[in-house]
Amino acid sequence: MNSSENILSIENLIIGYGSAGSKGKPVFSDIKLKAKKGENIAVIGRNGIGKSTLLRTISRLQKPLKGNIRIKDKDISHYTKQEFARIVSFVSTEIIRISNFRLIDLVALGRFPYTGWIGKPGRDDYDIINESISQVGIDDLKYKLVNEVSDGERQRAMIARALAQDTEIIILDEPTAFLDMPSKYEIIRLLNELTVNRNKTIIFSSHDLNITLQEADKIWLMEADEIVEGAPEDMILNRNIYNLFDNSNMSFNIESGDFRLNRNITGKIMLNGKGIAEYWTRRALERLGFEISDETGQELFVQVDDNKKPTEWILMKKGNKIKTNSIYNLTLHLRDII
Amino acid sequence: MNTKSNKKILLILIILSVLLIIVFIVDLFLGSVTIPFKEVLKILISGKSENQIWSAIIYDFRLPKAITAVLAGAALSVSGLQMQTIFRNPLAGPYVLGISSGASLGVAILVLGFSSYLTNQSVHYFGNWAQVIAAWIGAGLVLFLILAVSMRVQDIMTILILGILFGSATSAIVSIFQYFSHQSMLKAFVIWSMGSLGNLSKSQLNILMPCIIAGLCLSLLFSRILNVLLLGETYARSLGVNIKFSRVMLFISTSILAGSITAFCGPIGFIGIAVPHIVKIITKSADHYYLIPGSILAGAIILLLSDIISLLPGSDSILPVNSVTALLGIPVVIWIIIKNKKIASLS
Repeated sequence: MNSSENILSIENLIIGYGSAGSKGKPVFSDIKLKAKKGENIAVIGRNGIGKSTLLRTISRLQKPLKGNIRIKDKDISHYTKQEFARIVSFVSTEIIRISNFRLIDLVALGRFPYTGWIGKPGRDDYDIINESISQVGIDDLKYKLVNEVSDGERQRAMIARALAQDTEIIILDEPTAFLDMPSKYEIIRLLNELTVNRNKTIIFSSHDLNITLQEADKIWLMEADEIVEGAPEDMILNRNIYNLFDNSNMSFNIESGDFRLNRNITGKIMLNGKGIAEYWTRRALERLGFEISDETGQELFVQVDDNKKPTEWILMKKGNKIKTNSIYNLTLHLRDII
Repeated sequence: MNTKSNKKILLILIILSVLLIIVFIVDLFLGSVTIPFKEVLKILISGKSENQIWSAIIYDFRLPKAITAVLAGAALSVSGLQMQTIFRNPLAGPYVLGISSGASLGVAILVLGFSSYLTNQSVHYFGNWAQVIAAWIGAGLVLFLILAVSMRVQDIMTILILGILFGSATSAIVSIFQYFSHQSMLKAFVIWSMGSLGNLSKSQLNILMPCIIAGLCLSLLFSRILNVLLLGETYARSLGVNIKFSRVMLFISTSILAGSITAFCGPIGFIGIAVPHIVKIITKSADHYYLIPGSILAGAIILLLSDIISLLPGSDSILPVNSVTALLGIPVVIWIIIKNKKIASLS
């Protein structure tokens, strides 16, 4: 892999709806972005900021109002439809419901740019189709109907279809929407594997910040009037990520890399214990709105005793000593105080 | 590729072809004049019979009617299938673009609007050519409007809604003509609107047949694009399909098919909506490579069957074919809906 090669470069781009020129309604202006071959890029930003519009414009599904998008040093408008379909594939969040349609038939449609209008996929095409199906791990489902499989499995089939299209760039608009937590991780992990094993360039939008910050090589962070590019870790260190939560109740924990709702502090409590039992007790106390204090002499004091089996929680409340055997029971006693 | 299921579909298509031949011959055999079955076969094979009247009945009346039924059944089913795929809507049919309403308007203007200028002789002289041409012009105008809109409008749902609105508007104009027209002319129009397979002369069949074959060929050429369109237009475009061109060509194919049949036979309902679903269910396929031939065969069979029923074997009366297709088909559609409980996913 030539690490200096920009497969995609965007300059002075204005995206939006309507016709080019003064009539169009711009959604986002002055976009300048680059993508290298084999990168896994996550586009993040608030709802309605223009993530889909950007991805659709790069995929040539809608026209830019102004500016250049160059893929492999050629403006995208200079490719023929068929040439472009062999370079960029697109996966949307739309759930496809077609009766009598097997997953293998769905994936086979990815060969359309190679077989053309009238041709039918041949044996070589089916080798690629079956390989794509294996790559996303749905071998044993390939003869199942589209309406019989789960949303996650169907999304894998849509990605296999993009793989069968054999493009260097795969663009995915919210591929993890509507999926459960394990499926979200599996899909993003799959995308990562494709960049490593198949040297694909992947650009996807997502609202799952936890996952994207862990798995993406690069983030295109869409802020109010600019797009910031960088590694997810840069975004965290430069505090760009915080801007996403300017007006909201969320805060970002720079040490753990996860997000919490800001809470009103209702009281102080002292906690004593160690290990994971202490960590999760702390989480529970924070959830109730307690500030964990190291100072001695608090009215409230919790002792986690994990020497005992099962673990025991001892709550000192105004001199009274209450023993509980679960965090839930502990919180019941604390709720009385709040 | 799972060749097993493909072989099964081929077998189904072969069975349908055999059925078609049987139903076609039965249709020739039936009618108000009883001709022995042997004689029917003899007339068909040798072209001659001892009884000149019998061979005239077969050649000038029953054969053109049976061929018309085959053409109409095939044309309406295929255009319905195309519309269901393009609009991704299981309830779409050949008339969803407003083509039959346009044809009705043409006929209404001719029959009801100009009735005072038409003498009996002139009607006789033009035969039903005038009606056919009026219906064609009406259908063509609606097609032209739809094409003009689809060049400008991206969203396919907008086109669907506009098609329905055009249809309603033309129907409203037709109602106004009906309200102000003379009783005898009104009856002529109502009879046209009930559909008929038996009004075609041989020379008209010579026009209809190439039209339908051209429309069907156009559809077959687009079978792969129709497969891709199942995914919706976003995916189709990202796979390199020229959406505007495909849409225009498929609309033209539908208009040739449904427009010509409506012009010659009047609007024939139900076939275009129900047959594609029947074919999807018996072939268990979504591949237009098979669905189009399947719809051609099943549509022809079902319209021939409707014609057989409309002859009321054993009696001298004939029912309007439109009523038969509806009465025959609606139970089938209801059965499909109840059995599958998911008409929404049938598209």
